[in-house]
Amino acid sequence: MIKDITIGQYFPGNSFVHKLDPRAKLIITFAAIIEIFVCKNFLSLAVIVLFTAVAVIVSRISLKVMLKGLKMIYFLIVLMSALQIFYNEDGDILVEWWKIKITTGGVYTAIFMAVRIITLIFISSLLTYTTSPTALTDGIERILSPLKLIKVPVDTLAMMMSIALRFIPTLIDEIDKIMSAQKARGADLETGGIVKRAKALIPIFIPLFVNSFRRAYELAFAMECRCYNGGNHRTRMKQMKLSWRDWVMFVILAVMLAGIILLNHFFGEII
Amino acid sequence: MKSKTQNDNSLIVFNDVSYRYDSDTDTPLPLALKHINLDIKKGEFVAVLGHNGSGKSTLAKLANAIFVPESGKIFVNGMDTSDESLEYDIRQTVGVVFQNPDNQLVATIVEEDVAFGPENLGIEPKEIRRRVDDALKAVGMYEYRNHEPHKLSGGQKQRVAIAGIMAMQTDCIILDEPTAMLDPKGREEVMSSMQKLNKEMGITVVLITHYMDEAVKADRVVVMNDGQIVLDGTPRQVFAQEEIIENAGLELPDSAKLANALRRQGINLPEGILTPDEFVEAFKFFVLGGNSV
Repeated sequence: MIKDITIGQYFPGNSFVHKLDPRAKLIITFAAIIEIFVCKNFLSLAVIVLFTAVAVIVSRISLKVMLKGLKMIYFLIVLMSALQIFYNEDGDILVEWWKIKITTGGVYTAIFMAVRIITLIFISSLLTYTTSPTALTDGIERILSPLKLIKVPVDTLAMMMSIALRFIPTLIDEIDKIMSAQKARGADLETGGIVKRAKALIPIFIPLFVNSFRRAYELAFAMECRCYNGGNHRTRMKQMKLSWRDWVMFVILAVMLAGIILLNHFFGEII
Repeated sequence: MKSKTQNDNSLIVFNDVSYRYDSDTDTPLPLALKHINLDIKKGEFVAVLGHNGSGKSTLAKLANAIFVPESGKIFVNGMDTSDESLEYDIRQTVGVVFQNPDNQLVATIVEEDVAFGPENLGIEPKEIRRRVDDALKAVGMYEYRNHEPHKLSGGQKQRVAIAGIMAMQTDCIILDEPTAMLDPKGREEVMSSMQKLNKEMGITVVLITHYMDEAVKADRVVVMNDGQIVLDGTPRQVFAQEEIIENAGLELPDSAKLANALRRQGINLPEGILTPDEFVEAFKFFVLGGNSV
């Protein structure tokens, strides 16, 4: 049952979006997020919404999956929209009742904010949905590699991240085994109040931690045997190369940015 | 610097080596290895046998400079393991595969794990690619190169670990109970990979194990008990010493035990039967009274 947990939420595929270089994808995502915040009116926002929609369609990630990503912040969207509706007093008054005034300005801003947040979530989830955790780690490592010049141990951090990713499924398996072992000895993990159930977890986590330390010790030996010395002078088998796809995307984003700024300028700002 | 005791044929030489583990308390632990002398030749397939705690795993960690002996010297290809500046050269000569495959795979993809060693050595990307492909083909895991290690069976994981050492192109691979956590099928896979390494590629293999049936397949068997080497010879020589084997907390291979039991019942079987095939041959000979079919 615990095995069903998916970490990183990666959906393998072969689409244009999947094939982008992970470094390029990180940059594109970051740039797109900035562009979302540059938008000042509905027309410019439409540009980025269109971009996101096309990206989602091309990636062949189903809309259901994309919407599932919104679940977590559903409440946030509603709350923010409500605040805008009730507190913004610009524009014509639509409804006035006791002390509450609902204005067109409020409604527009509320819609604008909601669309903006949804686009933001879609764009950033698309990154993790279409990039394997390994590729993402590699991409981050290479983007951050200039930081080595100021003595940030980028290699070591990337190695830590990739080992963490490597051991998540192993440790989940182990939790399963320990839970079965404790249940076989009569441990009751499923009844009682929160405190009782939290206490019942102690006999699961103690062996898990003990085993993790043992694993770490053995892994360190194995890594030493394979001449790991903290990542200095390491080479990599897989070289990353930007392809025409990545450059096309960079151009599209630059054009979009210019378009958004022009649209902001000529059609007024509502925010 | 070459040591005097070393002839050119030797790859790993233990010279009166003793070792003890650090103690958590004030009283020191007893010696884990006591005055070991051992000379492993290039191209040999050596099995090291011993019950748990006999010191056989300590041997592996000493041979590639993870541990340094308390007294005595170990030379790997003439290099002294106590010289820290030679650590990486030694580990490029002698690779170790450990018991638990889960705890020695580093990467989330099979081929990237095999590439880990060569990457650490700073080898050119193209050359790494070639080595990784060759190593994975040699252990029969090439089709799985893009799989995630945790979805493989134990035997498959262990073969990936072996490929990871092979890709470093070491002269010698020490396997520390590589089959202890595997099912019979996984053991068979790993054993045949090891034999292939030794016979076809000329890599020296040191197999640390407590399975007699695996030891029988080696060129040479070393039996350890209580931190000392008690027997050293060909499988036939070693398994003829039933008493010493049993004193070391070990048992003869099944076929040998069966042959001995039958012999005690007055069935006239020859000495020195080690494998099921040999047993079948000898028993056929006995039943048919020497008239071969």
